[in-house]
Amino acid sequence: MIRFLLNRVAGMVVVLFLVCLFTFVIFFVLSPDPAVQVCGKNCTTEAIDQIRANLGLDRPFWTQFWTFLSGLFAGRTYGTGANAVECAAPCLGYSFQSSQPVTDMIVQRLPVSATVAIGAAVLWLLAGVTAGLVSAVREGRFADRFIAGLTLTGMSIPNYVLALALQFLLVVTLRWLPFPHAVPFGEDPVQWFMNFLMPWIVLAIGAAAVYTRLTRANVIETLQENYVRTARAKGLGPGLVWRRHALRPALTPIVTIFGMDFASLLGGALITETVFGLNGIGKLAADSITKNDQPVIMGVTLLAAFLVVVGNMVVDLLYTAIDPRVRVGSAT
Amino acid sequence: MSEALLRVRGLTVAFPTASGPGEVVKALDLDLDRGGSLGIVGESGSGKSMTSLAIMGLLPKGATRSGSIEFAGTELTALRERAMRAVRGDRIAMVFQDPLSSLNPYYTVGTQIAEAYQAHRRGVTRRQARRVAIAAMERVHIEDAARRVDHYPHQFSGGMRQRVMIAMTLSMEPELIIADEPTTALDVTVQAQILDLLAEIRADTGAGLILITHDLAVVSEVADRIVVMRDGDLVESGTAERIFTDPREPYTRMLLEAVPRIDDEIGLLRTTAGEAES
Repeated sequence: MIRFLLNRVAGMVVVLFLVCLFTFVIFFVLSPDPAVQVCGKNCTTEAIDQIRANLGLDRPFWTQFWTFLSGLFAGRTYGTGANAVECAAPCLGYSFQSSQPVTDMIVQRLPVSATVAIGAAVLWLLAGVTAGLVSAVREGRFADRFIAGLTLTGMSIPNYVLALALQFLLVVTLRWLPFPHAVPFGEDPVQWFMNFLMPWIVLAIGAAAVYTRLTRANVIETLQENYVRTARAKGLGPGLVWRRHALRPALTPIVTIFGMDFASLLGGALITETVFGLNGIGKLAADSITKNDQPVIMGVTLLAAFLVVVGNMVVDLLYTAIDPRVRVGSAT
Repeated sequence: MSEALLRVRGLTVAFPTASGPGEVVKALDLDLDRGGSLGIVGESGSGKSMTSLAIMGLLPKGATRSGSIEFAGTELTALRERAMRAVRGDRIAMVFQDPLSSLNPYYTVGTQIAEAYQAHRRGVTRRQARRVAIAAMERVHIEDAARRVDHYPHQFSGGMRQRVMIAMTLSMEPELIIADEPTTALDVTVQAQILDLLAEIRADTGAGLILITHDLAVVSEVADRIVVMRDGDLVESGTAERIFTDPREPYTRMLLEAVPRIDDEIGLLRTTAGEAES
């Protein structure tokens, strides 16, 4: 088990290193000179050179990359002498636009994205799995066809259309919900909930549709399994056959997909956050892309990659707990 | 003659097809005495498996059955699902062809043996059910049963898995065991062991046995009486001895001749596709 864990962690480190390398190449080497951007208009060649030296852009690629990497783990110092600025680990650099540390910007926005992700995940899991089960039980009947229609609709509507349509319907026409604005949970939980409700629904609908189909297909397939027939042949009641022999094998694959989906959603929902004006990681990414704020783009990209890799590993570990066949180290 | 355990009359199983109902078992009659053993022989598609599922009341969705199935004096076709459930596993137990796919990979074999016992005996504690599971595993000669009871199906070999399946049926002390191709998925050397085990259990418990197989060699070792089926029809029935020494129907003869023998010319395999077809 420990060996397995170490293996996984080592793999994770390699993947993250490669992600760092690629993002570094894309954002610092291939994109326009950051020094020119930092300098702004009315800039002299000397000023640009000065900035380049401060940012370390005059040094060779591998040195720069090494400084960036060590900054992540040990922090780094920008500039020299009296101008020196200490950037504590994990240092992702400073925003070209606001001069804030990128790490701080991400940490500030992470709770918003987490709230959006958790709420949406709860919604889509509940709705998707329930609808999928109903569909499987009533296979071929009206309920199944009705749900199939709904999932098709849910999968086909793009998020931004859904977001705008919901906003128009619930906020403008029916006036059931206030226009989205940031309310801390401690201040007014009801307002807080209302505020997040629309983003949750928007994000949940597409995913719920996918989970519905997945659950339905898995359950129907599992019910055809020989071991389900064996369970019936033993004289078990339908409840026990379902709960014990059909549901567990059918829902296990959903854990895998859920882990991945949830992890990538934690890294920010770009469109939804932007439409609803939520100040999360997704909006941060969108803003920094439009302004070509490279350190921020890079920070957000690394975070997303990190979350997906960690999510993947958590799923793998969970799997060893759920499925005895992949349990490692068990004797034959 | 002893008392009849199973008496099947005019059993017909049909599936709806595009061109009306397709009958996979046609007006079949079967008889099995208490403690007797019956071999149902036929090629795949002959309706032998559907016959066993019809007796268990486990036909796939859409299939219809008609006719009479009398088990120990009870008409099974008249039973409601709930009453049928009490018969299944407890009084009639079934061993399936592929023990790997027939056991749930997510649960220990002990759990899977014990759950049948718990379903049929009210107020049984887990401990008791576990003891029954261990005892059943010992009875099918699984060594170190007290430890193996907590293992998962994938940790057993094919033959051992089939022993687990048989242990599962044994724990309930059924009056009838239906074994559907119990040795087909196994190595030849293991096949003989499983057949011996089935014969031993029948002798010990006095349970009736229906052995369904495409392999006449298998049936010759275990069954007293044999029914030969083809395309849902009963071709011939009689004592095992008579079927083997004096087959009356051409199809039965073809089946017998299709069993490879040690003195066969190399490369020669006879099929049943010859003149019996016409």
